[in-house]
Amino acid sequence: MVYVFDGTKIGFLTALLIAFSDPVAIVTSKQTQIPLGMTVMQVHNDPVRAKKAEERLFSFDPDCLFDLDRLLRSGMQNNEQLAFRYLRFIAQEKRPVSKRLANPDVFAAVECIKKVGLEIHKMHGFIRFMETASGALYAPFSPDNDICDLILPHFRARLPQFPFVLHDVKRKKAAVYDGTSTFVAPLAQADVLLSADELGWQSLWKEYYGAVNIPSRKRLKQMRGYMPQRYWKFLPERQESPPDL
Amino acid sequence: MNLLPKKIGNFFGLIYEQMFDFCFLMVYNRDMISEEKLKILTESAKYDVSCSSSGSARKNAGGMGNGYVAGCCHSFTPDGRCVSLLKILLSNDCIYNCKYCPNRLDADVPRATATADEICQLTIDFYKRNYIEGLFLSSAVYKNPDYTMEQLLLVVKKLRTEYGFHGYIHLKGIPRADERMMTEAARFVDRMSYNVELPSEKSLKLLAPQKSKESLLTPMKTLATQTERFREEKRKGFVKGYFLPAGQTTQMIIGASPEADGHILRLTNALYQKNGLKRVYYSSYVPVVRDKSLPEVGAGQLREHRLYQADWLLRFYGFSVEEIVEENENLSMEFDPKCAWALRNMHLFPVEINRAPLETLLRVPGIGAKNAYKIIEARKYTKLTFEDLTKMRVALKRAKHFITCNGKFFGAKNEHAVRGLLTAAETQESAEQLNVFGMLSTPQNALIALHGQL
Ligand code: SF4
Repeated sequence: MVYVFDGTKIGFLTALLIAFSDPVAIVTSKQTQIPLGMTVMQVHNDPVRAKKAEERLFSFDPDCLFDLDRLLRSGMQNNEQLAFRYLRFIAQEKRPVSKRLANPDVFAAVECIKKVGLEIHKMHGFIRFMETASGALYAPFSPDNDICDLILPHFRARLPQFPFVLHDVKRKKAAVYDGTSTFVAPLAQADVLLSADELGWQSLWKEYYGAVNIPSRKRLKQMRGYMPQRYWKFLPERQESPPDL
Repeated sequence: MNLLPKKIGNFFGLIYEQMFDFCFLMVYNRDMISEEKLKILTESAKYDVSCSSSGSARKNAGGMGNGYVAGCCHSFTPDGRCVSLLKILLSNDCIYNCKYCPNRLDADVPRATATADEICQLTIDFYKRNYIEGLFLSSAVYKNPDYTMEQLLLVVKKLRTEYGFHGYIHLKGIPRADERMMTEAARFVDRMSYNVELPSEKSLKLLAPQKSKESLLTPMKTLATQTERFREEKRKGFVKGYFLPAGQTTQMIIGASPEADGHILRLTNALYQKNGLKRVYYSSYVPVVRDKSLPEVGAGQLREHRLYQADWLLRFYGFSVEEIVEENENLSMEFDPKCAWALRNMHLFPVEINRAPLETLLRVPGIGAKNAYKIIEARKYTKLTFEDLTKMRVALKRAKHFITCNGKFFGAKNEHAVRGLLTAAETQESAEQLNVFGMLSTPQNALIALHGQL
């Protein structure tokens, strides 16, 4: 059976409980993941049972709730199914299983968790702020995973004097630091007035990027491997004009 | 963090209002460096191999920036290299005449010298936009060593104090400058490097007559001692602050002089052991200048690559330099150094993947440190088979000749066959790389390929 939940943690945990002993269960919140011809069950959130399940899972493996958070943030198509199979395995074994990499469910889940972590690390590098006329910094980006609030603390620690906005344009939301506190808010579109110097610094950066390249050693494949093309839209050094906002 | 979405109509308007309180606390004089100057001063700094920004956990103390222990790449250039630091020379106007250097006194190249504020402002504005992780500052010897060091010290001091910058700074020291300036600079920067340049005194005399082994090694040793002392005193609570939290590194040119790999690796090992260096970088020599004392052909990048592989074996795989190569011999070009070692020691193989201790797994060709740890963990729960290893994405092309999985062997029958298969695997892998290496050696590329700073 296909168990369709609302994409939240509570919804997931409720689905986990209901689908637990179904050997062919598919757990998802995405319409696209529902195979044709399978019976569909809508999962109704049960916060009380979900809370209990969460506590039990925590007692089996204190790290697994972190793992679950990462899995639910993943942009992979079958991420929720991976989470289901992985957490069900923990619940069956009643202990951590993350090191049992010869098990395909564990391996897939661990890889998926790693990917989210890796993108967070990558975004620490690939975020590009623009200076707005007021001095606040604005960075549009489009990550694979839902991570804008997870990359915020890094920038808050290093730029405590600058209010900034990390705008996930794909999910139409933003993680904001207003100079004192941080929050996540829906944000479809932002009107940004750039500071007088902004384009000047951008062009110096492009100049620098061009100057440090060694043209005779073309290794575009390697460059794309480290810095996938889908990220380029927001990197001044890899685009001709600033992204359309 | 407050995760409750705040509904705000005028999203940016709100921020603007609050902003005025913090944003102009730091008043910069905005000296924006000219594009042309930036080009001259970064063109010749780019060949520096090190771009690492790791190893410092410097905290933000007001102002902007902090260290990122793991290091961080901010971009990648089409040559596949990571851009982490703003690598720039304070000046390329040199009074020295190192034979291999494009910025040497005799060379006819455009010259430029930046002001301290130009460098500081550039660093700050790049950092703020998250283009870079910090600054990698070096310089040609401008006027004289003391003057140059004084200017470099001025930049890092200003950057830390006036500009309130706490991001990563790597400073290249100037040999023969007053030692006191070096010590003072070490309090401000995360990492310092004095480059060995060439692997022996004799070669230095010949190719870089104004430098001597002693003028390069003494500052390194002094800094190592001072770092020790500082850490001790900091532990006791007598001093505060930092002293080279990311340590020292050095760089040498390979193939401009006749030293064998065995000699180079012994020097490397000594630098790690005695001077506590964090990294030794190699850069393969490319002929730029016609001079009877310089070789006509450059060292291939494959040699550089092999040296790095051997360097890793020294640092992370528990190999001793004697196991890797004889003093007057070169590394095998055919096989990577671990493979070459294993082929010389076939009597130690195959090892059983389910029982071999970590140290042994680390010595299996093709099994890296990460995979060795993965195997150790996974085998606690199940007896690992060949298929299990494949599922765990452990590369087995080379390793299969040196291991058994649950008693089963999947490699070639005899040593002769192993050699053949390993060569095939190696060639396939480095074919693409070699292609790239080949392209480097045109004279025009070679000209810029020489790294032009201390
Ligand atoms: S290597 Fe350094 S000191 Fe020697 S000529 Fe070049 S810039 Fe000057």
